[in-house]
Amino acid sequence: MNAEGVRSPTLFELRGISKEFPGVKALDDVSFEIRAGEVHTLVGENGAGKSTLMKVLCGAYRADRGSFFHHGRQVAIADPVDARKFGIAVIFQEFTLVPYLDIAKNIFLGREIRGPLPGLVDQRRIHAEAKRVLDAIGFDINPYIQVHKLGVAQQQMVEIAKALSQDARILVMDEPTAALSDRETELLFTMIGRLKTNGVAIVYISHRLAEVFALADRITVLRDGRKVATVLPAETTPDQLVALMVGRSVDTTYARPPRPHAGKVVLEVKGLGAPSGIANINLTVRAGEIVGLSGLVGSGRTEVARAIFGADRISSGEIRLFGERITGSTQDSTSRGMALIPENRKTQGLALARSVGDNVILAGLRKLFPSGIFAPGKAIQAARAIIAKLRIATPSVHRAVGTLSGGNQQKVVIGKWLNARARFFIFDEPTRGIDVGAKAEIFRLLDRLVHDGAAVLMISSEQIEIVHVCDRAYVMRSGRIVGELARDELTEANIVGLAVHR
Amino acid sequence: MSVRTAMPNLLARVPGVAIALIVLCTVFGLVSARFATPTNIANILVQSTILLLLALPMTLIIMTEGLDLSIGAVLTFASIILAVIVIATGSFALALSAALAAGLCFGLANGVLISVLGIPPFITTLGTLGIAQGLSLLVTDGQSVVGIPRSIESIYSGRLAGIPLPILIAALAYAVTHILLYHTRFGTYIFALGGNREALKIAGISVRGMLIGVYLFGGLMAGFAALLMTARLNSAHPTAGVGMEFDAIAAVAVGGTSFERGNGWLFGTLLGVLAVGVLRNGLNLLAVPSSAQVASIGALVIVALFIDGLRSEP
Amino acid sequence: MNDDAMNKNTKGDVDIAVRSRLAFSSNAMQALYRLLAATLLCAVLASLSDVFLTENNILNVLRQTALLFLMASGLTLVILTAGLDLSVGANIALSACLSASVMKATGSASLGVATGIGCGTFIGLANGVLVTALRIPSFIATYGVMWMLTGLTYFYMGGETIHGFPPAFRQLGSGYLLGIPMPVYVMVLFLAIGTFFAQRTIWGQQVYAIGANPVAARLSGVPVHSRLVLVYTVSGAMAGLASLIILARINSAEGDIGENLTLPAIAAVLVGGTSLFGGSGTVMGTLIGALILTLVLNGMNLLQINASWQPLVTGVIVLVAVWISTLTRQSGE
Repeated sequence: MNAEGVRSPTLFELRGISKEFPGVKALDDVSFEIRAGEVHTLVGENGAGKSTLMKVLCGAYRADRGSFFHHGRQVAIADPVDARKFGIAVIFQEFTLVPYLDIAKNIFLGREIRGPLPGLVDQRRIHAEAKRVLDAIGFDINPYIQVHKLGVAQQQMVEIAKALSQDARILVMDEPTAALSDRETELLFTMIGRLKTNGVAIVYISHRLAEVFALADRITVLRDGRKVATVLPAETTPDQLVALMVGRSVDTTYARPPRPHAGKVVLEVKGLGAPSGIANINLTVRAGEIVGLSGLVGSGRTEVARAIFGADRISSGEIRLFGERITGSTQDSTSRGMALIPENRKTQGLALARSVGDNVILAGLRKLFPSGIFAPGKAIQAARAIIAKLRIATPSVHRAVGTLSGGNQQKVVIGKWLNARARFFIFDEPTRGIDVGAKAEIFRLLDRLVHDGAAVLMISSEQIEIVHVCDRAYVMRSGRIVGELARDELTEANIVGLAVHR
Repeated sequence: MSVRTAMPNLLARVPGVAIALIVLCTVFGLVSARFATPTNIANILVQSTILLLLALPMTLIIMTEGLDLSIGAVLTFASIILAVIVIATGSFALALSAALAAGLCFGLANGVLISVLGIPPFITTLGTLGIAQGLSLLVTDGQSVVGIPRSIESIYSGRLAGIPLPILIAALAYAVTHILLYHTRFGTYIFALGGNREALKIAGISVRGMLIGVYLFGGLMAGFAALLMTARLNSAHPTAGVGMEFDAIAAVAVGGTSFERGNGWLFGTLLGVLAVGVLRNGLNLLAVPSSAQVASIGALVIVALFIDGLRSEP
Repeated sequence: MNDDAMNKNTKGDVDIAVRSRLAFSSNAMQALYRLLAATLLCAVLASLSDVFLTENNILNVLRQTALLFLMASGLTLVILTAGLDLSVGANIALSACLSASVMKATGSASLGVATGIGCGTFIGLANGVLVTALRIPSFIATYGVMWMLTGLTYFYMGGETIHGFPPAFRQLGSGYLLGIPMPVYVMVLFLAIGTFFAQRTIWGQQVYAIGANPVAARLSGVPVHSRLVLVYTVSGAMAGLASLIILARINSAEGDIGENLTLPAIAAVLVGGTSLFGGSGTVMGTLIGALILTLVLNGMNLLQINASWQPLVTGVIVLVAVWISTLTRQSGE
């Protein structure tokens, strides 16, 4: 839409932004330019640094290095209030709406217009103002409707209206279509077009290449926290874009020789569907192999893992473990030797306030004490054996698990399944929030598990991990498996190619 | 989508409590000849006023995902303060101010314990319930406080323009609460306290201050309810308001206010109060002892919560 | 395998051994502090009142402690799962009244005992079902149940009093064995059973795990719902048992028999160091909590402080105890 010639002046600019987290360089010398009336899309693999960059922009994170320029003048952004001053607004993934207030009151939450009587709110003006803002973005709806009655797309519109009512000049949208239907997406795009003509700048983060090409005036590609390129959609193709996104540096510390001799089938899933949004999932995992389950965040990988493990209800299909059909409760699957290392170890994997010993024996209680009588001495012994085997760095079995480092916490979660003598492991993002050294150690552990004849299904958002660790991989998109890649087809480009919408 | 969200609203919420009310009225009307008389209906309305004064703030408190188990005991304590002071000084104004102050003190204590110290509402108010009950017993030594001037009694039995005074007071309280909830910033933030506290913080509003405000309102209304109760009994007694919090919670729950997500409905509470009032009155007419009434209200609450649970199921 | 590990990492293991001894002692210290507090209370009371150290009063304190402990022991398990049972007192009332009328009608002590415990257990089971199957928050569910039971009890009794039970039954509450009141033996028995359940069975371990993190427990294969039903049922059964002891002691049953029992029971659990937020605490701690609370109330009695202070003091104790557990929770995270 915005042809080369009519470039508007730069509204806001980030220069040389760097941000480091313990063990991770999230952003490395990234520069980014925002122009009025332009959609600037930001693409990159999971973990490339897109969200971090946007959090720096809106003041949620403070950059370690780098500077900001507003209309060419250097400014500072230390917190969200600063960002709001420059008209920067973020449409959050988790909505900031109050479900049982109406649209107008949500738009003006905290900025209510005072009425003629002291203490009262001028309802009529709030609703009139809201109507005006909603009209401006072409969202034809009665502002008296309560927000909980709206669909996701409509709620997003309200969020946008809320941002614009605060005089936002720069609107950041992080994967706004993730939860939208096609029709709703169309609605959103129409609105973005209208905002552009009103001179609003839009930063649009997306994995979906089709969207990127439909919307973008410019595209910036991030990889490993660095800016790879800024390109114009007219001068590039989807394949070129994928190539720019993936060519990631390879960390060989956990590269693993493929194992050609897989054993007998351990897990067989046929036609699995669940209310959580997955459908027609078919997959098999054999003894002695690590199978990847890849795809973008939100593509349904975790839902598949939870359905297989019996943590969520399923609506169709069957799951066989060691040839036997399982009934779909966590109790049943664990007693048959299945293990889940969940996505979020702090909230789902561990009781942080309890000791390493208590955590590490929890899943194995039945196996360790078949009579039901618990012997603390034996439990501590079993826990110490795991601590030694996995080299968990803890001063004592009695130490609260919350005080350990991320890598050691993860080992405790794995350890609890060793005690339960699990033979089939589902790892959901096993390396999230873990530093590089510990990552390699986790992968060596995986390797050892399959070496001893266990089977592993591994979910990871880091394609490179899948490529280097897995024997083969399934790729998911929108709740379905869209492809299976054998060892020799297993490349980042192939995974991303299947995972993104074209 | 619209069908899915509209259905539960239509079926379980708006008519739910109204249907309960109609069913109760019909049944009692058929069973007892004395039920559907103008005197009895006026009776029900007047008797429901004290409960309404408690149920109104309870609605707001439950909307913030809180609870106030102490409100009945605070009501009792305020009533005793009122009686003792009016007898000692003869000044109605002083006595009423003291009763309101007593209510506000407990409201403040609840609010601070919950929002500043982070103690869960149910255990906080269970503790302050014990304290209020203890204070009531201490002040009265377990005895009734009698000898209140006649003028106070007239607050309950009097009429203005033919309408009983308690009904006027209750109507005023309802109007004030309605305006507070639907027409002020404070009310708007109450929805957000239960629905999305994060949104409040982002908007730069003090969650603590708002919570304290809600519980203060509860204490204040307990003070006013104490006035009505003292006038009604023409005395104050340390166990007079025991269990009133239960009727109030029941009325709110039956009225369709949910314990989650800030989903509240003030008019529903009014209907809920009437439903509880009708239930008690009808059972009274049928000579069912008040103990069995409590059990039936308990059953009503469990059913209401069960329906609430079904409704909130996605 | 363990030996292997020890050889590899001797220094680390020495460290582990030292630390574990420290951890053990820190747990024991907790109990010790509370015992110390109890002793201090005794010393203060002994110096303030001549009656305190008389045989009669000591036996009285023991008996009261035993009773409070029995009510609070089942509740301890519920609170360990981060739940709450507000229906304990009302449960005691109904169980006692039903048991009393069965005994009166049949003259059989054993039928009475069966009725009391059966009634309590059934109520606990109902609580468990409300909390798990209907997913009603425990404090609301048991609060509703509490009022239903209270209403039922008064309705059933209709203001009557039932008194005069078989002598064999009365032994349970007012009898002595070797000069020590019977309830104390019951207390010791259930202290042993409760501690064994909590510390020495895998079910007990699972109860702790549920309280600490129900999601992690479920994803570790713990049958969360059935364990929750179990603890509420146990809490109900213990209330039923406590009702029998009360009945045998006072030899009469009235509708208000369970009044003002719930708050002290909750206070005993919390003072005993069990966290309201679940996952930490012991049955032994609850015994010490019950002792401390009994000493406080007994002391107030001896010093002739108006009995009206009791709910007030109990309320304050509950709030302070929860506040402390809130603080330690915040500093722990």
